[in-house]
Amino acid sequence: MSFVNLTDICVSYDGKTNVLDQLNIAMEKGELVSLLGPSGCGKTTTLRVIAGLIDTVGGKLMVDGRDMTKIPVHKRNFGMVFQSYALFPHLTVFENVAFGLKLRKLDKSTIEARIKEVLEITDLTPYGNRYPKQLSGGQRQRVALSRALVIQPKLLLLDEPLSNLDAKLRVNMRTEIKSIQKKLGITTVFVTHDQEECFSISDKVAVMNGGEIEQYDTPENIYNRPRTEFVARFIGFENFIPLTKTSDNHYLAENGNAFQVVKQGDEEGTLATIRPSDIKITPTNGESRNNEIQGQVLVRTFLGNSYQYDVETSLGKMVATGPCDKVHQSGEKVTLYLPEQKIVLV
Amino acid sequence: MGKKLPWMLLTPGLVLLVLFLALPLARIFLPTIFDGQLSFDHYINFFQDEYNMRIFVRTLKISVIAALISIVLGVPTAYFISRCGKAWKSILMALSMFPLLTNPVVRSFAWIVILGRTGVINTFLTSTGILQQPLTLLYTEFSILVGTIYLFLPIMIITLVGVMENIETDIVEAAETLGANKLIAFVKVILPLSVPGIIVGSVLVFTGSLTAYTTPQLLGGNRNMMMSTFIYQRAMSVGDWTGASVIAAIMVVTTFIVMKGMNKVAEKLDRREGQDA
Amino acid sequence: MRKNIGLTIISGLVFAFLFIPLLIIVITSFGEGSTITFPISGFTLKWYQNVFQSETFTASFKVSFQISMIATVLALLVGIPAAYALSRHSVRGKKLIKGFFLSPTVVPGIVVGYSLFQFLVISLRIPVFQGLLFGHFLISLPYAIRVIGSSLEQFDFSVEEVAWTLGCSKIKAFFKIVLPNITSGIFASFMLAFINSFNNIPVSMFLSGPGVRTLPTAILNYMEYYYDPTVSAVSVLLMIGTIVLMLLIEKTIGLSSVSK
Repeated sequence: MSFVNLTDICVSYDGKTNVLDQLNIAMEKGELVSLLGPSGCGKTTTLRVIAGLIDTVGGKLMVDGRDMTKIPVHKRNFGMVFQSYALFPHLTVFENVAFGLKLRKLDKSTIEARIKEVLEITDLTPYGNRYPKQLSGGQRQRVALSRALVIQPKLLLLDEPLSNLDAKLRVNMRTEIKSIQKKLGITTVFVTHDQEECFSISDKVAVMNGGEIEQYDTPENIYNRPRTEFVARFIGFENFIPLTKTSDNHYLAENGNAFQVVKQGDEEGTLATIRPSDIKITPTNGESRNNEIQGQVLVRTFLGNSYQYDVETSLGKMVATGPCDKVHQSGEKVTLYLPEQKIVLV
Repeated sequence: MGKKLPWMLLTPGLVLLVLFLALPLARIFLPTIFDGQLSFDHYINFFQDEYNMRIFVRTLKISVIAALISIVLGVPTAYFISRCGKAWKSILMALSMFPLLTNPVVRSFAWIVILGRTGVINTFLTSTGILQQPLTLLYTEFSILVGTIYLFLPIMIITLVGVMENIETDIVEAAETLGANKLIAFVKVILPLSVPGIIVGSVLVFTGSLTAYTTPQLLGGNRNMMMSTFIYQRAMSVGDWTGASVIAAIMVVTTFIVMKGMNKVAEKLDRREGQDA
Repeated sequence: MRKNIGLTIISGLVFAFLFIPLLIIVITSFGEGSTITFPISGFTLKWYQNVFQSETFTASFKVSFQISMIATVLALLVGIPAAYALSRHSVRGKKLIKGFFLSPTVVPGIVVGYSLFQFLVISLRIPVFQGLLFGHFLISLPYAIRVIGSSLEQFDFSVEEVAWTLGCSKIKAFFKIVLPNITSGIFASFMLAFINSFNNIPVSMFLSGPGVRTLPTAILNYMEYYYDPTVSAVSVLLMIGTIVLMLLIEKTIGLSSVSK
């Protein structure tokens, strides 16, 4: 039995269409699991279901062996950090963080000790007497985090906590969050639409689309082996080529080109895709070997550490990137080689 | 041209205001403190007269109680409205506005019908045998208070709804995730953040009660006068124009002091709270 | 939203408190008895007939309507340029001037009424109708300034400046560019000022005279001598008028734009 189990969760706002339909996901204790996807995919809804802020129409939520489905929000003991931080403007940092502890009827010295401890962890010790409006965005974020952590929650729920910070701060904060999470061993659910942020700190990622989970796996597996077209597109795969299977590991494209693919598992899919950076682009060699496509460069764009080529081929437009020391011109005839281990079938 | 134009546009309004507001007010107030020489005797005499003081104190008393009761009734109602869905909210807001746009005569008249000797309450009490004699509910401080609360409660509600709507929902949700049930969330989060609205509403109710005329006139009559009915009586029945002016001046000064005082309190709170930048 | 039952009950009671008295008035307006009773016996429309046939009420309604109309229009004529000047240009002492324009709302109505009585009626002996007009103009002006002022705050004046660069004179630009875009503000202030003026009692009372009185004053007068359902009937008619005006406001600019 996993630490967190969502079984067949259904959520509907208007009684007709289901925003979440038969959602299932399991998380282990101490894991940092991310819900990743575009806006409207249901990731925030799922988080709020776990928090208890949204009622389900069906399904069950189990946490640490206990059925939490019908338990009201304020009894769940899950710490939550909101995208807007939701700090209490009329209370100081100290009072904000103490809020949850005071409700648990702890004595004064325990409260002060715990707050001191958590403010040290989040590097906020000198700010105890400030009011939220006197703090910077990054500081407010850390107050929100402290407030959620200090109640020693069973789960930590983070709803796009870094979206409102500038790029540099975002990168710093995500490593801080990860290290705090690991140190305290707290099971965490992290909602974001930023793929890089998600992959860098998660133990497991659930890529969501239209209220369903498309793929639930480690970041490495998702990165290297997307299972569906949606996931592949989301994480940066391009060049989708429909293929038909001729024999084991051998496929044929519509224009007659033959492809050999090395499969990782037992993928049934026949839509081939590959990252632009995995395609090897060379001046045309006039031959036609396996896994090769002939084409002509349409546009060349400079990306800084590489060049991107939009290439017109008999299989449609393809995108490939190449190193800066081997530049190809617009209009040049080229050969695109797709290495068999780099092709993914979805 | 730049400098002149705005003044040209403002002049008609300014002239008319001076003519119809500043000048008339000065004309009635100056004589109360300047009788050939500067003297505050009129005011000292006013406050030393027991009859006058009774009216003044009654006015203050009723205004304070009206404000307090409006808070007690207004806060939960406004909170309820602010948590409603869009459709219900606009209906309830419209319902709250309706009394404000209805004539004060109508609104006070309703209570004559209810509280009078042959009114709704007394008819019910006597016809069911609970009482033999009808109660004297009208022309008492009680009837003035009820009428005043009836008059100003909508203002308190509308003011508070505006303030409460500005409190972001996720602040309440955050409190809930930290262990606060709905009541605690209300008391510890919504209420403190609504205080500016409560202050504004209270000032409106208090100063409104202090200066309203129709309600005290219809529901208090000459037996229980408030400052406003006192002015009218002095001016029109007794012909004591200086006396009327003195009362008017006291009313204006009291209103001014209360408003300024409340502003200071509101400012102080603002420094503590305030929204996220 | 999971709502407290207690909260719903309290709010329900408050709204009952606000509306049951008005309902009682409506009911009493149909009673047969010659004094106001509740509950009513019988059903008649004769009190409404009374109102429409009464010289006092119909005449005073006409007076109220005319006064409020003219006063509001005057307030707009004076207030729109003033509001424009205050928001468009940075005038020295802007805050003070704006405060001055809004001061009639700070001074108690009864004091305004009394001071105008002394000035217009006693000293200047201005005819009643004109006196009422000046008084109602005074209390309507703040609405024009405040509501139109806030409309203008939200107005992007670069549109006006673009018109100037395209060859439009300042006056023409004001009428063709600024005014059309603040019509909702103008309408809102008109409605608010009109309703406020129509319902006003302290100023009207002091400035009314024999033969020329506003409707509220006439009702008060009537109530001093009679306690019959005519008053209920008039009240109901006034309430219907309020509902009509509120519907009008809602259909055009929405009630939310007039709630402070």
